[in-house]
Amino acid sequence: MKAKRILAAVLAVSTVSLFGCSQQKSTDVSSSGETESGTSSAQSEDLSYANVELGTSYKDLKADIKFISHKTDLVNADYNGKKFADYFAEFNKMYPNIKVNVETITNYVSDTLLRLQGGNDWGDVMMIPAVDKADLSTYFLSYGTLDEMEKQINFARTWEYKNEVYGVPSAANAQGLVYNKRIFKEAGITELPKTPDEFINDLKLIKQKTKATPLYTNYFAQWTMGAWDAYVSGSATGDSKYMNQVLLHKSNPFTNPGDGTGPYNVYKVLYDAAKDGLIEKDYTTTDWESSKAKLNNGDIACMALGSWAFSQIVGAGSHGDDVGYMTFPITINGKQYATAGGDYSYGINVNSSKEKQEASMVFVKWMTEKSGYPFDQQSLPIKAGDTKYPEVFSSFEDVELVVDDPAADGEEDLLNKLNSDSELNINAGGNDKIMKIVEHASNGDESFDDIMKDWNEAWTKAQQKENVTVS
Amino acid sequence: METNALGAKKRNAFNFKKWSRSRNGQQTFIIIAFMIIPLLLLFVFTYLPFGEMVKFSFYDMKYVGRRTWVGLQNYKDVFQRTDCFAALKLSLYYLLGGVLQIILALYLATILSFKVKLGNLFKGCMFFPFLINGIAVGFIFKFFFTRGYVFDTVLQWCGFSLQNLPYWLKDQSVNNFSLMGASIWRYFGQNMVLFIGAIMSVDGSMYEAAELDGANKFQQFIYIILPNIKSIFVLNIMLSVSGSLSAFEPPYVITAGANGTATYFVVMDRIAHTSQKVGLASAMAVVLLGIILILTLLQKLFFKYVFKNAEDDNPKKFKREQRKLAAAKGGAAQ
Repeated sequence: MKAKRILAAVLAVSTVSLFGCSQQKSTDVSSSGETESGTSSAQSEDLSYANVELGTSYKDLKADIKFISHKTDLVNADYNGKKFADYFAEFNKMYPNIKVNVETITNYVSDTLLRLQGGNDWGDVMMIPAVDKADLSTYFLSYGTLDEMEKQINFARTWEYKNEVYGVPSAANAQGLVYNKRIFKEAGITELPKTPDEFINDLKLIKQKTKATPLYTNYFAQWTMGAWDAYVSGSATGDSKYMNQVLLHKSNPFTNPGDGTGPYNVYKVLYDAAKDGLIEKDYTTTDWESSKAKLNNGDIACMALGSWAFSQIVGAGSHGDDVGYMTFPITINGKQYATAGGDYSYGINVNSSKEKQEASMVFVKWMTEKSGYPFDQQSLPIKAGDTKYPEVFSSFEDVELVVDDPAADGEEDLLNKLNSDSELNINAGGNDKIMKIVEHASNGDESFDDIMKDWNEAWTKAQQKENVTVS
Repeated sequence: METNALGAKKRNAFNFKKWSRSRNGQQTFIIIAFMIIPLLLLFVFTYLPFGEMVKFSFYDMKYVGRRTWVGLQNYKDVFQRTDCFAALKLSLYYLLGGVLQIILALYLATILSFKVKLGNLFKGCMFFPFLINGIAVGFIFKFFFTRGYVFDTVLQWCGFSLQNLPYWLKDQSVNNFSLMGASIWRYFGQNMVLFIGAIMSVDGSMYEAAELDGANKFQQFIYIILPNIKSIFVLNIMLSVSGSLSAFEPPYVITAGANGTATYFVVMDRIAHTSQKVGLASAMAVVLLGIILILTLLQKLFFKYVFKNAEDDNPKKFKREQRKLAAAKGGAAQ
């Protein structure tokens, strides 16, 4: 009897608690939805990014705000550059009554998504993780309309949805190649390569005249191969519509256009380099952490990485002055371009109190305009009209930066679908296809044109499945 | 007859309260109460998700978003795609590894079950790799096989020159053997411990009797040890066959599943997580389950045939063995 009673009790408790959970969740969602619509409409009248004048607005505001960041190194005691604490101290000179508490998270992407789902009290400012654009207004406060924000900042479209901007990029990157200036000089290269052929020739020179690995692929780390996808849009075409609009409707996009541009020629650089033995000898055992130091001290001549990697590689050894950054060697009608885009962006909690939201807005604007943080992080300028480019972009003078335009109305999900159907996953973690280029080139078991033919077939099939009009 | 049964039922129903207080009734309640929690857990965390997965395999779907019923299309794709079944060919490497592993384990287990100096130390050392986390093992072997690192250095001590050695992970003709080696290193200790356990349970007087009859150690092994550990032997083979079909950790961690080392599970992971084709990946899982079931069945038939003579001699013993086997299988499943 006792056993039965216990059993009944256990079952009862567990069912009740299960019920309890699900009910609480549903009420949570609805209440957050209500408060969200309520508060955001109330604020949009006065609180906006454009209306904040640093040094005058909200001067007497008293608030404690919590800021969640992915930059774990900026709270490290042994970090060489300016730490968060230094920025906050400067901020408090202008706004002594706003106290900023920072929390950094190592496993940023997944942890912050959990916090967002966990409730409304995660803090006040966070770097927006990978949320669906349609959900932005559930979690984050709008900084203002797109027109308004484009006058204030660059890369305003990074987190734009239905003409409202929900994120201000903390930094912005361009796509190119990190290289070692000393090795290039030793190989006798006086001018940076501008076309794929020039680049391959330079790599050959490096192989002949120096001991360095000409192009280190970082094959084993996998995600590093994603850089090759990033060149496909702006760097290879100079067209801001290419990635999210043109590619979707293009028939056989991986065909050789014959003029040394386009996706075909991006991936061909990698294939040719691997085929001619211009990459590391054993690509299967590459190591990301040590590769940074190797490029720094000249064991590696260049690597395909976004501009964010520059400061890390400069700091990875004692020859930081040798490290340089160049754009991807493709020239379109005599001009070079580079894909650029916003990095992690500040988002403000839509459910925080009004004071905290105001304080957060002030803080974000100060970080963007007055702190010098983007410049310190070797980022492209964020403030609109700012022309102070950090050292990493010293060779980008004649290069036009291309920011991808968003997809056309009604086609927001189409790229994701085509990526999934074709399994090419361009700019969406499709690193294995790029790794296969390296394998086929080294083993000599499939020609580059055959690989591109396979990709074209996969892309065409996906376009047919999604009923895309092709031109 | 019918009235009898009805009468019994009536009596039962009538006496339910009494029965529930009786020793028998209490026993039944306790058994049910003890069983219901593990069964509930088993159902909620194993059979229910499995049922869901089978359902998914009939849909064209991602983790989020709309789902479209496609019937058997996913299964057709599994059989038509070149990468799925090509990946199963890689299992042959691991199967070969499994055979080597069992031979090695059996050999060492036999030696270690007799009196050996420092026997327990050896047992511990050989079992140790199984206790290390699979991901850590992966990293160990990545550096082990890196050009000019541990393995190459050791071979150079033995007189090989670096120029003549292959790139263990890059060269597609050897890289699967390298991974197989890592997998043997990790799992043979477990097989060995199972064998030792089985060999320990052999009655010692049988060896004495055999020795009196003039049997040498090898004959003792063939005619005493082997028949006595048959059930564990079969279990180990089954485990290594299903293990080789579902090999995942070594290729995933050591070579990132690239360069011709993508086993069935690695392909499945890529399809499900990178390309988000959840339906297709579910279908692959169901197909693999089918293959493993068929192989297990074939194996059973095979061993029934091989050990037929022994069974004929002693049918009672055979039944006992079968029960032991079932129990061991249950244990292994957990």
